[in-house]
Amino acid sequence: MGHCCALRAAGRKGVRRLTPHVRLRGIDKRFGSVVALEAVSLEVEKGTIHAIVGENGAGKTTLMKVLYGSHPPDDGTIEVGGEAVAFRDSADAIRHRIGMVSQHYSIIPELTCLQNLILGAEPAAFLDEQAIEARAQMLAAKMGFSFAWSEPAANLSPAGAQKLEILKLLWREADVMILDEPTAMLSPADAEALFESLTALADQGRTILLVTHRLPEVLRFCKRADVLRGGKNVATTEVAETSAGQLAEWIVGHAMSEPVVGSFEPGEAVLETRGLTVRGDRGDEAVRGVDVLIRSGEVVGLAGVDGNGQRELYDALVGVGEVLAGDVFMEGADIGRLNPGERIARGLRLIPEDRHTQGVIEDWSLEANAALGLHRLGDLRRGQWVHAPARRRLAERIAERFRTKHGGLHQPMRSLSGGNQQRFVAARSLEFAPRLMLAFQPTRGLDIDGTQAVYEAIRNRCREGAAALVASFDLDELLEHCDRIVVIRGGRIYEPPAPQARDRNAIGRLMVGAEAGLSA
Amino acid sequence: MELIFILSTLTGPLLLAAMGGLTSERSGIMNIALEGFMLTSACVVAVVSVATGNPVVGVLAGLAAAIVMALLHALLTQAYRIDHIISGMAINLVALGGTNFLDKRFTDLSRQGEIPQIPMLVFDVLAFGLPVLLWLYLKRTRGGLRLLAVGNDPDKARQMGVDPIRVRYAALAATGLLCGLSGAMIVTNAGRFTDGMTAGRGFIALAALILGGWKPIPTAVACLGFGALYTLQLQLQGSQLFGANLPSQFWNALPYLVTVIAMAGFLGKSRAPAGLGKE
Repeated sequence: MGHCCALRAAGRKGVRRLTPHVRLRGIDKRFGSVVALEAVSLEVEKGTIHAIVGENGAGKTTLMKVLYGSHPPDDGTIEVGGEAVAFRDSADAIRHRIGMVSQHYSIIPELTCLQNLILGAEPAAFLDEQAIEARAQMLAAKMGFSFAWSEPAANLSPAGAQKLEILKLLWREADVMILDEPTAMLSPADAEALFESLTALADQGRTILLVTHRLPEVLRFCKRADVLRGGKNVATTEVAETSAGQLAEWIVGHAMSEPVVGSFEPGEAVLETRGLTVRGDRGDEAVRGVDVLIRSGEVVGLAGVDGNGQRELYDALVGVGEVLAGDVFMEGADIGRLNPGERIARGLRLIPEDRHTQGVIEDWSLEANAALGLHRLGDLRRGQWVHAPARRRLAERIAERFRTKHGGLHQPMRSLSGGNQQRFVAARSLEFAPRLMLAFQPTRGLDIDGTQAVYEAIRNRCREGAAALVASFDLDELLEHCDRIVVIRGGRIYEPPAPQARDRNAIGRLMVGAEAGLSA
Repeated sequence: MELIFILSTLTGPLLLAAMGGLTSERSGIMNIALEGFMLTSACVVAVVSVATGNPVVGVLAGLAAAIVMALLHALLTQAYRIDHIISGMAINLVALGGTNFLDKRFTDLSRQGEIPQIPMLVFDVLAFGLPVLLWLYLKRTRGGLRLLAVGNDPDKARQMGVDPIRVRYAALAATGLLCGLSGAMIVTNAGRFTDGMTAGRGFIALAALILGGWKPIPTAVACLGFGALYTLQLQLQGSQLFGANLPSQFWNALPYLVTVIAMAGFLGKSRAPAGLGKE
């Protein structure tokens, strides 16, 4: 089997320079009246990592779904290995050895790791568990991964899930691997490890299509890049011949301005915790004796690897976590016993980590979602009722702020793309004079322009006297946009010493627990 | 011996129907129409057996009728996106009215004696062997894995190249088959069709399925438990228990009561298939 594949790969290698592994020509795709892709062409060389970059809604994911067969194109041709193909569904694409890892993963948490691995590509009608596990183990060992095969996939960390996704592609012997924003949920170290794996796979002759908005990844790991904007392919370039600035300009269509972090005078304490200890999911202490002080005017970044207590800290601050000990003060008042509604009334706002489950009610309209949580504030409250005209004005304001693309405020929230939902949720948190904004990955799924706009808006609110705590797994983003960075590790807060307050490496060491100075 | 015979006769239909419910709900289609499938089958078995004089033809016709009803449920919920509960209700009502009509129209009232039957033992063997087979199917076969995957997350399953619609139609055909067997077993045991003769056993089977956490073996154990309750009820009917004469309605309500109490506290988190009833 392996031998035969090697032969075939060698056969292709001979014509590699003449025929790209994947070639899309003149791809058109419309959804109703919306043109998602217009005459997009793309050539991907075998054995390389090829980047597809662009803003949200530029058509990156749609283009990849065209190649993966889940969105058959309205016009245009697809060639794989020099052969014209037409996919009716993903199963067709899989047969042509194309695999895709979507942004939200396709792992089913209730199934075991092994079941997830083989789903849709089972070797036979009757499953020989031992043989399957042996092959799985072999594939995993090759990549340097290890899995508890019979454990439910629900127990996997985001990085573990990502590894399993890649292994799924290998299980299917995919030659063309499409990865949609693969590092969105990974820590810097895990992202680094992922790219190590991807580079190794490319060296073995696999072709990798990387959809991303993180330009450093493109510059470090990719060979070529295509830039999409507004459903059109606006640039194709060798990565070696371009720069981050140039790419960013292509992506947004105009030159970028540097964000202004700027100086300011920190004012009174807005948020203060003393010895805050919070119970975690497993009954352990996920947050241990945390003292945080955030002053009026400040945007404080909370850096840390996923799962180090960020979630529990936020839950406790919002008023839904189980506080075991310690106090929370907001503008001098003890809010430890207040429920979330009372905290919101005092000016606390949240941009939750997971907009789907925590930020919006997807079956409700945009208008109803606009007032969610804010329904007792300002002109929204009309006795026991929510004032409908005020709510409509609010929804208009929210949709306007970050230019949420929507088909009408009466449409259900689920009709919006993920990025647009995020814009909406972020904009909502800025309404009715917030005092303390708690943001958890506030730009998740947003493009460069959107990210800039959201941080700028948060900072403006802070300069007006509010304060913000922003948690993110993307340290670069925090360094770019926050006034000060603290690190959370193992439920404790660490602050880099003043001279290294913005030193990426020093903060990185704090995140993983390598004491500063020891390894430097 | 007598007791074991009664127990198996009472438990068998529950087992068959509960396993039928399992394939449906595991595929993500909520199914309160088990009762309707069973009733349809029971009636058609009786009518066709008498008409042809051949019990095998009768049972096959009953199975076919139940499968058609089950596929109708699949069609309504999948192609027409009707709420699963509403579709199930409709099918139960159609079954109740339809069998009443069929029975009245085709049963010769002057006819004496029972309908032609195939031996109960056949049903017993099927009913008690099935949970183990189904357990193996879910654990050890491609079809079983795909069934679990589709029931938990049809969209992700589709991404992996599995066709959820096909899996669901196949699962519902199995539901029809098994509920059809259940209905055939009931009418075979009774010897003739009477109106509404399944008497809520489709719902008891559903309760067992929920109690068993949508897993074949625990569900079968729950069915056995409920079967034992029925048996006990028959034995104790009219006799004093703890000095009180419990009405038969109490016994009829007991399986539901047990299920509600179990759901409320003792099982903790719900373990229903994650995609149940969605799309």
